[in-house]
Amino acid sequence: MHLKYESQLREPLVNGDKNYHQVTEDIVRPIEAKPTKLWYVGFYIAVSLLLFGVYAIYRDVTYGIGQWNLNKTVGWGWDITNFVWWVGIGHAGTLISAILLLFRQGWRTGVNRAAEAMTIFAVMCAGQFPIWHMGRVWMAFFVFPYPNSRGPLWVNFNSPLLWDVFAIGTYFTVSLLFWYSGLLPDFATVRDRAFTKLRKRLYGIAAFGWTGSTKHWQRHESLSLVLAGLSTPLVLSVHTIVSFDFATSVIPGWHTTIFPPYFVAGAIFSGFAMVQTLMLMIRKIFSMEDYITVGHIEAMNKVIVLTGSIVGVAYLTELFMGWYSQNKYEGYTFWYSRANLFSPYGWSYWGMMACNVLSPQIFWFRKMRRNLFVTFFMSIIVNIGMWFERFVIIVTSLYRDYLPSSWSVYYSPTIWEIGFYTGTFGLFFTCFFLFAKYFPVIAIAEIKYVLKTTGDGYKDKMGHLEHVPVEVFTHSGHGHTIVENDAASHG
Amino acid sequence: MEQKKIWQSFGELNQSEAFNKDVKDEFKEELPFAAEESNSFLEAKAPRRDFLKYLGFSTAAAAAAASCEMPVKKSIPFANRPEEIVPGVSKYYATTYVQDGDVVAVLAKVRDGRPIKLEGNDYSPVTGGGTSARVQASVLDLYDTARLRFPTIDGKEVTFEAADMSIADAVKGASGTVILTSTITSPTTKEVIAQFLAKFPGSRHVTYDAVSFSGMLQANELTFGKKAIPSYMFQNAKAIVSLGADFLGTWLSPVEFAKQYANGKKINEKNPEMSKHIHFESVASLTGSNADEKFLHRPSETAAIAAALLSAVKGSEVSIADKKLKEGIEKAAKALNANKGAALVVSGSNDVNVQVIVNAINDAIGAYGVTIDWASTLNYRAGIDADFVKLVDDMNAGTVGALLIHGANPSYSWFAADKFNAGLKKVKTTISFNTKLDETSVLCKYVLPDHHFLESWGDAEGKSGYISLIQPTINPLFKTRQWQDSLLKWSGATADYLAFVKNYWSAKVGGETGWDKALQAGVINPSLALSAVKGTFNGSAVAAAITAATSGKKAGAVEIVLYEKVGIGAGQGASNPWLQELPDPVTRATWDNYVVVSPKMAKELVKIDLNNNGQADAYEVNPPKPCVKVTVNGKSIELPVLIIPGTQENTIGIALGYGRSENIGKAAAGVGKNAFILAGLAGSTVSFSADATVTATGEKYPVALTQTHSRYDTAQGNRTEVMKELSLAEYMANPKEILNDREEELKPYGGIEKFEGQGTIYPIYNRPGIKWGMSVDLNSCNGCGACVVACNAENNVSVVGKPEVLRGHEMHWLRIDRYFSGDMENPNVVFQPMMCQHCDNAPCENVCPVAATNHSSEGLNQMTYNRCIGTRYCANNCPYKVRRFNWADYTGADSFPDNQEGIVNDVVMNMNDDLTRMVLNPDVTVRSRGVIEKCSFCVQRLQEAKLTAKKDSRPLEDADLKVACQQACPTHAITFGNANNKESAISKVRVDNPNRSFYVLEQLHVLPGVTYLAKVRNAEEEKAGKTEEKKAEKA
Repeated sequence: MHLKYESQLREPLVNGDKNYHQVTEDIVRPIEAKPTKLWYVGFYIAVSLLLFGVYAIYRDVTYGIGQWNLNKTVGWGWDITNFVWWVGIGHAGTLISAILLLFRQGWRTGVNRAAEAMTIFAVMCAGQFPIWHMGRVWMAFFVFPYPNSRGPLWVNFNSPLLWDVFAIGTYFTVSLLFWYSGLLPDFATVRDRAFTKLRKRLYGIAAFGWTGSTKHWQRHESLSLVLAGLSTPLVLSVHTIVSFDFATSVIPGWHTTIFPPYFVAGAIFSGFAMVQTLMLMIRKIFSMEDYITVGHIEAMNKVIVLTGSIVGVAYLTELFMGWYSQNKYEGYTFWYSRANLFSPYGWSYWGMMACNVLSPQIFWFRKMRRNLFVTFFMSIIVNIGMWFERFVIIVTSLYRDYLPSSWSVYYSPTIWEIGFYTGTFGLFFTCFFLFAKYFPVIAIAEIKYVLKTTGDGYKDKMGHLEHVPVEVFTHSGHGHTIVENDAASHG
Repeated sequence: MEQKKIWQSFGELNQSEAFNKDVKDEFKEELPFAAEESNSFLEAKAPRRDFLKYLGFSTAAAAAAASCEMPVKKSIPFANRPEEIVPGVSKYYATTYVQDGDVVAVLAKVRDGRPIKLEGNDYSPVTGGGTSARVQASVLDLYDTARLRFPTIDGKEVTFEAADMSIADAVKGASGTVILTSTITSPTTKEVIAQFLAKFPGSRHVTYDAVSFSGMLQANELTFGKKAIPSYMFQNAKAIVSLGADFLGTWLSPVEFAKQYANGKKINEKNPEMSKHIHFESVASLTGSNADEKFLHRPSETAAIAAALLSAVKGSEVSIADKKLKEGIEKAAKALNANKGAALVVSGSNDVNVQVIVNAINDAIGAYGVTIDWASTLNYRAGIDADFVKLVDDMNAGTVGALLIHGANPSYSWFAADKFNAGLKKVKTTISFNTKLDETSVLCKYVLPDHHFLESWGDAEGKSGYISLIQPTINPLFKTRQWQDSLLKWSGATADYLAFVKNYWSAKVGGETGWDKALQAGVINPSLALSAVKGTFNGSAVAAAITAATSGKKAGAVEIVLYEKVGIGAGQGASNPWLQELPDPVTRATWDNYVVVSPKMAKELVKIDLNNNGQADAYEVNPPKPCVKVTVNGKSIELPVLIIPGTQENTIGIALGYGRSENIGKAAAGVGKNAFILAGLAGSTVSFSADATVTATGEKYPVALTQTHSRYDTAQGNRTEVMKELSLAEYMANPKEILNDREEELKPYGGIEKFEGQGTIYPIYNRPGIKWGMSVDLNSCNGCGACVVACNAENNVSVVGKPEVLRGHEMHWLRIDRYFSGDMENPNVVFQPMMCQHCDNAPCENVCPVAATNHSSEGLNQMTYNRCIGTRYCANNCPYKVRRFNWADYTGADSFPDNQEGIVNDVVMNMNDDLTRMVLNPDVTVRSRGVIEKCSFCVQRLQEAKLTAKKDSRPLEDADLKVACQQACPTHAITFGNANNKESAISKVRVDNPNRSFYVLEQLHVLPGVTYLAKVRNAEEEKAGKTEEKKAEKA
């Protein structure tokens, strides 16, 4: 599917004159070698965060949601902020895998595996919040429409929270399938190289008996396309539905029709930022500079500046509507509770503006887009900004709503709310470290596709042919030679 | 024959030393644990055995600990059911709430032998079925775990017989026996005391009131020759001027006055007429907040104002320097003169001279015989400060041999408590009759626990001629004895107090039958309404009073006013968690007292400027408030500051009744500081105001406020959809103003008429059958909070304690929002009871993922607790923020039992004590942790009423039910019923008041089921915020 001609002006997607064997070697090496010290340090930190998170949840389940600082007016705080934040992060993976696959964006191959893994882990983290924020989590199964002896008593299909259950459930399932089906040929590669029986057996099971036959490849590619087709609308739908949690309510600051596109753009924005953070780390730790090139980084930075500007426009639109609608309740929420720097939560709004709208604008400069340090720093800033965005939407809308009598005292989290949040970081990175150790972090098979047309070595050789007249080229059999050479170097 | 020796070994045969030792050690007595000095466990002498023992023990312990089951709570049915008790059916007994001098006729609702709720007694013409917050809360005192459970001598438990014997000896020999009580309204108790005094020559009775009305009693003695308080008839007054009398909250008989006052405030839309209430005060009070016009003055100016008002009423010039105040006095005089013969002036001052002047004014405006009636007196307060001062002196002089104390608690509430305590030490025999070991009782030798009024027999005559009887509703819970019984016994009477009361009243009401009837009704009323008596006013003392009152020394820079709170009073409510958690109507604070200051003073004192948005926000959203040190006459206390508009700029206020001993209950422990110590004697009476110095300490202390923001106008517009208020002048000029505003707001949806259909894209439903509806008249509501506590009692609403209120976790289903509008220093105040609005298009219902909250066919927004999973989405989406979440296990009803130690505070834990839980209403589910709850319109009462109607095969009528808040309200501000019934009160209220009716946040199309009737104030000014709007329009 990648048989195409690509201009010499485009940067190669894989650097270093690699052949197929080298690709396999480079990517599978970390799986076969002992983990580095750095890996252990990271893994243990992640596990401790996770354990603290588990304890924080234990407290909230046994002693009550009063372990958190939420109150009669602010019923959702860090819990749902973090939920939306993680769901947003979980968007880039599927976007990269599905939409970019359909659009034939070759550069996705370097990052799609890790990005999809990130999606799955992020959605797992996101899912913790709506579950554990329930007052009676042991009754959480009430949200499923299962046949029962209570009437039967059904769930409330009008509730956006129920839509969340379905939207996120679907998204998680499809993303997981997509990710796993892509992993099959790579698992087979690892299995074939295995040096212990156990390894062979485990990777053998994971590979589902993949033999690399043409039939397998054909089915694999069809499945990829079908799943890509299924996932594409999901990328848009999940955050749209999450935004309905707010948009369908009556609370000023929530009751906003702009939310679906604004949330989706924001999700892609934060998702890409998170991919950047992780990619730069993987690139460094596993020496994958040849596969995750500066070109990849730059492409993603372009997406970041685009989506960052979209959310910026959304913020300004909200402000404008707050004034234009002449609705005093909306006006108060947008102009006082948020845009007024000196109001109690003014800092969060301006933090959001600075992180999400102003700072990404430096990516208009190519030099900045290609600067790894700036990119890493910005990727963190963007995710902080996007956390602020969700916090602003949830808390500043709630804490001063319709009746001035019920305006809230200042809400700030307890250690257990923070612990729950850092616990999901623990979960995320624990999974990610395990993934990085035991799974091929880059799609070996897919890299090999693009290697042929956009690899450094291929481009180099094709470069000479650029100058060869067409007649000479067709009669000289050059093309044939190159294909043969390539086949000979197959790992 | 010699017994044959049987041996098993040579050792045994020869009784060798080794053998004997073995035999001795075979079954060792002591456990063979490792010796303490052994180095480690394994090196110990018998490690294996020990190990097995430890292993066995720890396994068993672990198994026992791990297999802890839900505690089994036993409920045992009657083996033989008493004839009158039907399980699940309540019985009502007429009785009377008495606390110190306060008297309110009530019905006690008794379920399965335990009183669980008090309702007002409709048969009482004094209260008209109204109650107060304190009355509603008093049922909880019955089940207070801090109650005394047995008599003690010097702290040691004894029997009553032993105590009687010991006391008989002690009292017999004592010279100068004194009975010290709070005001006694009971005719029979007075008789019992008289008998006792007759029995012990040289003994006397001293009445002591924590907050005394000495000044008034003495003034009346001077001007009318009677040391008594006449009855007031606010309902007859077209003009009311109050000089700091908080008659709706704490002054004399607030339930009665609130009822009367509301009469003049309810308006008929077609012929709007209202009484005019002008209020002068120093610190914002409940009554001042309800006034049509309010003027602020320093407490030291009280006498001058009274004198100026007198001269103004008589047509002379007013000589007051302050321009606003002068204007106010002239206005007041004008109103009083315009309504001569239908006007009334009251004063809360305890200064004899001020009260003399007030009497002169009342005489001048013809109040006597119309609005003030000498036909019956108010007997709620009878203490004379001078008598008590003399008693303390006598005690210190050692001339009091025995002191019997009931109701009075001078060790707490007398400003010179040290002196009283020192005197108490010199009294040989000190006897306290009390339900709790309060500050005074703890110093007494004999403590004889008294019944709670719900366990007692008795009577009360708060207003002479109007008798209210007390009958027990439950057997005494502890080893207690009514104090009258003790007195009777000691004075050698053979009959007990029950017989005494019965004989006394049977003689008056016509024998046994009359007694039974009276007991059933609970009250004995005069057969004919007493005609008003004018009394003869003797004005000779007035001139002297004016000179004396106005020639006082110049006041200092800052003055202090000590006031009572509606719930806590003079400390009687301090141990009651419901009252502690009842937000003060004016400050909206719970669980503390504090220094009330004006915005102007706050600016200088604690550097908080409420006009500066940043500072105002910071002050509002952060519970820790700056602390100040208040010093009066060398005594000082440190308290946090609350900025309350409507307080005079040089005056601070501190509530009395706090800082009580923890002996009286966990709820009182460590709450606030005792401000009684700052009072002092002014002449012969106690003065609750004085010069003070205030300095900021730089420290902060959190105050648990239930409402942080107080204005409904914002920079983005005046939120008139939330609250509608206007002046009578405006209303007269344009009665349809509110209606037009609503019409304008809903114009895009076809106006009010079509709004329901056109405001939504969904189809609208017919609502046949019953449609429950409520209406709240903001003109009648004075914010007293009786409904809030009634709701707590009826619906088992949890108490959460101060730490939880601080975090915004209070559970009240019904709250009274208080808004300020207009001038920041002296604002208009309006109260708005806010409960679930039972919206027909409820935003909470559609967001619940599991349909735990849903709509009934009768228009109720229902909450299904056992379906709720606690996502709190409904609470977020409620525009009225009336939904409450169980953040912790406040009720002990959780699936993870008994794990809240340290999570919720002691007060909450104590509410789950087996004794305290007896107050729970069995008709209402106790909610567990993690579920949402809210006002249900007392669905249990609706259900009961429907059943009653069904059993009688007739449609439901208004008379079948009253919801708890409606029942408790002394002013009948709340109307409730079936809105589909054209004959029902609720329908009539809505039809009769089209111009004042509004729905809160109507524009949201949530279609609330609660109508509010806009507040109309009898004033000329324009309504708040409107001037600015008009200015904006022009610009």
